[in-house]
Amino acid sequence: MDWTPIIPAAELTIGILAVIVVDLVGRGRHPWLTTGVALLALAGAAASAVLQPTLEVTDGAQTVLGVLQLDQFSVVFTVFCCVTGFVTILATVRGEAFKTPGGEFLVLILSAVLGMNLLAMSVDLVALYLAFELVSIPGYVLVAMRRADARSNEAGVKYVLFGAVSSAILLYGLSLLVGFAGGTSLAALGEAVAGGAVTTQPLWIVACVMVFAGFAFKVSAVPFHFWAPDVYAGAPASVAGFLAVASKAAGFIALIRVVGAVVGPAVPVAPDALTAFLPEGGALITIIGIAAILTMTVGNLAALRQTEIKRLLAWSSIAHAGYLLLLLTVWSEQAVAALLFYLIAYLFMNLAAFLLAGIVIRERGSGELSALRGFGRRNVGLSLAFAIVLFSLTGLPPFFGFAAKLQLFYVVFERGYVWLGVIGLVNGVISLYYYARVLSSLYFQDGESDAPVMRLSTFDAVFCTLLVVPILGLGLFWSGAWHWAQAVAEDLPLVMGVR
Amino acid sequence: MLTLTTLVFLPLVGMLLCAVLPSKHARVINIATSALVLVVAVLLWIRMDPDAAGYQFQEFAAWLPGVVSETGIQYYVGIDGIGMSLVLLTAFVSLTAAIASWNIEKQPKGYHMMFLLLLTGMLGVFVALDLFLFYVFWEVMLLPMYFLIGIWGGPRRQYASIKFFLYTLFGSVLLLAGVILVVLKTQSWSIPEVTEMARNAVAFGNTGGVLGDSALCLAAFIGMFIGFAVKVPMFPFHTWLPDAHVEAPTPVSMILAGVLLKMGGYGLIRIAYPFFPQAAVACGLVISILSVIAIVYGAFVAMAQTDFKRLIAYSSVSHMGFVTLGLAAMTAQGINGAMYMMLAHGTISAMLFMIVGVIYDRAHHREIAKFGGLAWVMPKYFILASLAFFFSLGLPGGSGFIAEIVTFVGAFAGPYRTLAIIALLGIVITAAYYLRTLQRVFLLDTPEVYKDKAKFPDVTGRELAVLVPLLVVTVYMGIVPSTAMDLYHGFIHETLVPLLEQASELGAK
Repeated sequence: MDWTPIIPAAELTIGILAVIVVDLVGRGRHPWLTTGVALLALAGAAASAVLQPTLEVTDGAQTVLGVLQLDQFSVVFTVFCCVTGFVTILATVRGEAFKTPGGEFLVLILSAVLGMNLLAMSVDLVALYLAFELVSIPGYVLVAMRRADARSNEAGVKYVLFGAVSSAILLYGLSLLVGFAGGTSLAALGEAVAGGAVTTQPLWIVACVMVFAGFAFKVSAVPFHFWAPDVYAGAPASVAGFLAVASKAAGFIALIRVVGAVVGPAVPVAPDALTAFLPEGGALITIIGIAAILTMTVGNLAALRQTEIKRLLAWSSIAHAGYLLLLLTVWSEQAVAALLFYLIAYLFMNLAAFLLAGIVIRERGSGELSALRGFGRRNVGLSLAFAIVLFSLTGLPPFFGFAAKLQLFYVVFERGYVWLGVIGLVNGVISLYYYARVLSSLYFQDGESDAPVMRLSTFDAVFCTLLVVPILGLGLFWSGAWHWAQAVAEDLPLVMGVR
Repeated sequence: MLTLTTLVFLPLVGMLLCAVLPSKHARVINIATSALVLVVAVLLWIRMDPDAAGYQFQEFAAWLPGVVSETGIQYYVGIDGIGMSLVLLTAFVSLTAAIASWNIEKQPKGYHMMFLLLLTGMLGVFVALDLFLFYVFWEVMLLPMYFLIGIWGGPRRQYASIKFFLYTLFGSVLLLAGVILVVLKTQSWSIPEVTEMARNAVAFGNTGGVLGDSALCLAAFIGMFIGFAVKVPMFPFHTWLPDAHVEAPTPVSMILAGVLLKMGGYGLIRIAYPFFPQAAVACGLVISILSVIAIVYGAFVAMAQTDFKRLIAYSSVSHMGFVTLGLAAMTAQGINGAMYMMLAHGTISAMLFMIVGVIYDRAHHREIAKFGGLAWVMPKYFILASLAFFFSLGLPGGSGFIAEIVTFVGAFAGPYRTLAIIALLGIVITAAYYLRTLQRVFLLDTPEVYKDKAKFPDVTGRELAVLVPLLVVTVYMGIVPSTAMDLYHGFIHETLVPLLEQASELGAK
């Protein structure tokens, strides 16, 4: 048996243990040392994931214990989550969360990343569920870490309750799937669905609803989104960014695996696709399609009324989950490529947005939009970075968010669902309103006239620049990234198990 | 060095200079850059071959290869008479607006940087021949405009700026939907290539058009049309315009009315009509009706305004109705007139907004009812203002007259003659509101407050430097229309009108 696929997981595990040991031995007096160890573990895991020779499509059967599979997808998502963890730790070094014991924080982030790494490789329903829990549980603690803060505690409790219920629903749904498949592997599930007898049963729809409900909680899709605004607002900004990016990506990789197994290479395009709203890809696709439309619309409409930056970003991230679900609805190889591409853009935009929000909150002690007033004059660089990120989130050129949206809607149109695309595009217009409200606070409303010029530390400045420059750079020259995403998506047959 | 790329990115260089140098130099850099842009534009115009068909000064560079098609998205610019005449207008109006920006005191550095970025966006739209590049410039233009209204605007600037942004973005996404459909079906990002495909489709009697499906063509055309109509702005998508104008500072209003509104008409002539000639023919009646509503309703609403600047803003809605009316007639005369209307309105409306700006700087209000008898206090100002008013309402000798008469002749020859006659009513109402305003602001008795010579000096040299060139060009265009018409008639006569005629024959079969 070839154990190389789990090298990143092993490195992360060693990292977790090393952080605990160093923290215990040093009695928490060397925060930089523990941080260094954690960052090293993440960098190592990402590097070895990239350097691993990935399996060829024909070798699909070679997996670790039959449950963990190494393919382009797992590599990409492992790197994705390691980068997110890396950025989150760096963003927290100077932030509010680090005032609490640093070692615990690092261990929790590393554990969550470990869970995501395993989730990205899972091709078995039981392994998938276990990895899913390994992602969720550190998340609950991360949110509630600021013990003295009542809002943080409230957020933690909400998160745990919602999480526990959705986990139970997911588990029940998965158990039904196992029953249909006659085995726990995704390949078995795929064969059972391809057999045709399964999908006609009424219980199949119940199973699909329940499984999707579990994932919908993770990707914060309507109607399982209620936790997100409270949790993001209660958590430190960097942790909120981690949940918004890594946790959501984990939900999507799991969805890609399951949808791939259930639907096959692509949903058939209906002959009347031009006027049809949803593809006819069976129960799961219909459920995801309805959720996609609801998620983006509800997310955008609810965000209109927000006055607190983290809550606003939470609703915005719900809306973005809706756009991504749109791609699962029109499922095809190109759609998966567009999904990957969008997730990369989403990573930069949201990590940058939460980082900037964190800096402002640290400075002003409040995340209300009114606290942003006058920043346009107090710190030109910070406000400019904010403007770029917000325009990119809206999907305006020449920023990365536009390229991602262009490819997204191109695929939706290509599959023939013009109406779905138009709903999504109009949603983008709605989103402009609340992003512009942030800009309006930054630039159009005058703050206290005697507010001093605010200086960013070199660390913060460099950090912001590193996140914002790709948004502009990849917004102007994105063909390379897109071709790479297409190349990764060519591994789709492998993801679905060879049939 | 004399290339379109130089022309488009020159303002960007000026913007970087503004960013680096101290803010007291910003206004000088702005004027110098705008002047340089005008010089480059004029030199390009002189070097342009007037007899050559198609696009000149073409430049290609690989940009995003392999996106959708093998060549993918290119940096592809080129210019023909239509683009050149609008580029000249843009450079000219921008220079006058840059001079008018001299006394901006709030954050001058940021203001002039945004101004120059806006200039790059506007020039880019008129020279881009790649659909992606076009869309990027189209949107890039929005961002500085949003900030120019939002930061340097009047008391309700937040409302006006977001309204402007939301309306235009709504139009933009419909445009984007149309662009995606076109690219999806034709596998080409090049505007000339798609135009050629549309021509072939019509020539071979293919009713499906470039998208291979007439219903889809109609949907894409309507989407694109709304996208451009918001910019025109066409009734019923015009409501952002009065708010944006009233709140924007004077030079920004000049650019907004003088150049930005022309983007819509340009998009229709360059993209929507040539890509979907059959759908354009099918929608002709609806577009004509909306245009006539815009002309008449816009004029009536203008008459009801109490705010000087709002009045001018609604007169823009009314006048831009002629552009869509001329286009919808689908005759060579009609489109010719529409194009001339855009150029004429460009200089005249810039002049009108400057006129409002002059009195607002002195009186700090714009209530028409509170003015009176200014002619005796500021005689030179009175002469300039009445000339601008008369040229706007179509007095012979000004460019507006030529534009209106050509458009009407074209519209009469077109399929909707009755509507053209109704539109004539608009001219009468226009005359009514201008004359009434002239009387109430400049004639009658002068209220005591305005008699203070120190507070109400006549137009200054700087203001003359803005108004006189605009006036000269307006008069020149009114006397020698052939200069502009010869420049842009090629595309209309050789490409657009034959295409539309064939399409309507195809539709009649």
